[in-house]
Amino acid sequence: MTSLESVLRDASLLVTCGPGGVGKTTTAAALALAAAETGRRVIVVTVDPARRLADTLGIVDSAGADDPCEVIGATGNPDGSLWAQMLDAESTFDRMITDRAPDQQRAQSILSNPIYRSIAGSLAGAQEYMAIERLHQLSTGGDYDLIVIDTPPSRHAIDLLGAPDRLVTFFSHPVYRVLTVPGRSLARVTNAGSAAFLWAIRRLAGPKVVEDAIEFFRALSGMEAGLRQRASETAAILRDERTAFVLVSSPRAEAIDEAAHLAGALRDGGYPLQAMVINLVNPTPLPLGVELPDLAAGPLADQVELHRELSALAADEAKEMLALRALAHELPLIEVPLLDDVQDLVGLAGLSQYLLER
Amino acid sequence: MALPRSAPDWLSRTRVLVVVGKGGVGTSTVAASLALLAANAGADVLLVAVDGKPGLGPLLGGASLGPTEQTLRTMTPRGGRAGRIRGRTISPEQAFGDYLELKGFGSLLRRAARAASFDLIAGSTPGMKHLLVLGKIKELDRERAADLIIVDVPPAGHAAPFLRSASALQAAAASGPVRDQADEVSALLADHTRCQCVMVTLPEETPVNEVIELAADLEDDLGMALAPLVVNACWPDRPGLSMTAATAARRQQITLPAATRRALDEVVRFSLVRVDGQREQFARLDDALPLPRLLLPRLPVARLLPQHLDVLAAALAAEPVVGRVSR
Repeated sequence: MTSLESVLRDASLLVTCGPGGVGKTTTAAALALAAAETGRRVIVVTVDPARRLADTLGIVDSAGADDPCEVIGATGNPDGSLWAQMLDAESTFDRMITDRAPDQQRAQSILSNPIYRSIAGSLAGAQEYMAIERLHQLSTGGDYDLIVIDTPPSRHAIDLLGAPDRLVTFFSHPVYRVLTVPGRSLARVTNAGSAAFLWAIRRLAGPKVVEDAIEFFRALSGMEAGLRQRASETAAILRDERTAFVLVSSPRAEAIDEAAHLAGALRDGGYPLQAMVINLVNPTPLPLGVELPDLAAGPLADQVELHRELSALAADEAKEMLALRALAHELPLIEVPLLDDVQDLVGLAGLSQYLLER
Repeated sequence: MALPRSAPDWLSRTRVLVVVGKGGVGTSTVAASLALLAANAGADVLLVAVDGKPGLGPLLGGASLGPTEQTLRTMTPRGGRAGRIRGRTISPEQAFGDYLELKGFGSLLRRAARAASFDLIAGSTPGMKHLLVLGKIKELDRERAADLIIVDVPPAGHAAPFLRSASALQAAAASGPVRDQADEVSALLADHTRCQCVMVTLPEETPVNEVIELAADLEDDLGMALAPLVVNACWPDRPGLSMTAATAARRQQITLPAATRRALDEVVRFSLVRVDGQREQFARLDDALPLPRLLLPRLPVARLLPQHLDVLAAALAAEPVVGRVSR
C-alpha cells in the first residue's frame, strides 16, 4: 500500500495546503475521489474552485453552494460517496451566529450590524476563520468518514491554522471585556488601555464606528464561551493523529520556497504533515541521441530548439525539487506530471492514479 | 515629472502602476520587469512590494527588500538622465505610524494607539490594514517620491479586497480621518491620469476566467483605468512545429535516426496541445476582455535570475497587441 493510500484509509481529516497556482484544489478533489473509491463517505470543502471543477463537483454559484451536494456517479463503489461544498465565508459566519445566538432577535441584531457585515464579507482573514469554523461543523456532525479541506494559498494557510488560537486571544483581551460589559458607559471605562483604544478608534474612524463596534461586541457577548470552546476544539482537531496535512507545490522556485517555509511552519505548529506533492512537473524529453550543431533556420531547427528548451526546463525543475526532497526526509514526496485536463471526473481519476503512485 | 519619451506610451501616462494577478501567475516578476523597463528609459522608479516579497530586490540586482527604501539599481545613462530603481516594502504597522505622524496626531494618540495594540485597532476596523498601505502609497505619490511608483499587490483572492478597502471603509465610517483617508485613496485609484492597473494572467482557462472577473471588479466597481493586459508565460508558436520531425528534417535535407525523430515528435506534440489551448484562451479574451495585450515568453527555467528580467522587460516594451473587440 502506498503512502497516500494509507492516509486516505486512516485519516478522518485531510488538509491540503501550499502556494497559489499549483493545483491545490484539484489535488484535494482527486484525493477525495480516491478515498470515496475505497468505500468511504467523503466530503471535499473547497475555497475557490475554478469554474469547470466546480461544475464537475456540482457546486453551483455561492447562493446554493452552502449545503453539501453529492457528486453523482463519482464512484463505482456502492459503499463510497463523494460530497462537495464550496466555502462561502459570509454564509458560514451567518450560520455560526444563528446557531449560537441565544435568540432570533439577538441573531438579527448581529447580522444587520455594519461592523459585522464588513467583517463577515470583506475582512481579509474572515475566510480563513470560516474554513476552520466549517471544519468544526463537519467534523462534529459525523456524517462523513473523511473531510478533505482545501485551504487558501500558503501565507494565508498559516493564518487559517492560527485562527482558533487568535479568537481565543481576542476574547481574552481587556478591551474585549470592556466592550462587552453590559450597561457600562464608555465614559466610565477606566482601564487605561481600553480607554485609549476606544479614544483612538473614535478619533481615527469616527464615533459611528465605535458605536457599531460596541454594539457588535455586546451582541456577541453571550456567545463568547461557546465560541471559545469551539475554537479550542478545532485547534485540537487540527493536531489530531487522524488528521493529515498534504503540502502541494509546483517545481517552480517561488512555489518551492514558499512550500519549504510552510513545511517548517507546520512542523513548528505541531500539525501532522504526512505527504508532499509536487504538481505540474514538466516531462523530461527523450534524448535526441545525435548532435545537431549549426542547424540553419528552418522547421527542424524550430523543433530542436523546443527540445533543447524543454530539456533545460526539466533539468532546472529537478534541481529546484531537490530542496523540497531534502526537507521531506522520511515523508513521502510524490511527483505529478503536468496533465492536460483534470477538471472533469475522468481527469480527477487520472490525477488520483498519479497521487497514489499506481 | 512624466516619464521620458522612450518608455512605451501607455506607461508614460501614469504615476502609479498597480500590478495585480492571482497567485502563481508571476505578478511580482511582471512588476519588477516593468520597473526595469521604465528605469531603462531614464525614469526614477519606486517599486513597492505590499506583501513584502523580499526576493524582488535580489532579482533586480540589489539586496532583499525591507521597510526602508533602498536603491536597487542605477542604470547607465543613455543620452538623457540615468534611471534608477528603488525598492521597499510597506507593512500596515509602519504605514500606521507614518500616518499618525503625518497627520500631526500628538504623542498622546500615538501612545494610545500603541497601548491598545495595533492589531486590535486594525482588526476591529475592517479593511483598515489595507487602507493604511494604500494611504501610504497615496502619500508617496503626493510627495512625488518617484516618476513612477509600481505597486506589487498581494496575490490570490486578496487583490480585490485590498483595492476595495477604501470604498468599503467609506461605507462604514461616515466621518473622521479614516473617512478622509478612504476618500483620498478612492480618488487616487479612480484618477486615470495618476493611477493605472496592470493585470497579469496566464494563457490558461482558470487564470483567464479570473482576470475577466477581476477586470469587471476594478473597472466597474472602483473606476480604475486598465493598462494593457500582460499574458505571462506564453508558449512560442514556431512555424516548424506544424509538421512531423521526418518532414522537418527532409525540408532541411537532414536524415535523422528513428529515436531522434521520436524524441522530437514527442516534444512537438506536447507543445502543440499547449499552443492550441493558448489560442483558445486568446479567443476568449478577445470576446470578454477587449484590452490590448502584452505577451511575455515562457522562459525555460524554474528559477528566475536577474538576466531573465531583461528578456521580460524587452517584451513589455513592445507595442501591445490589440485583440478583436466585440463586447
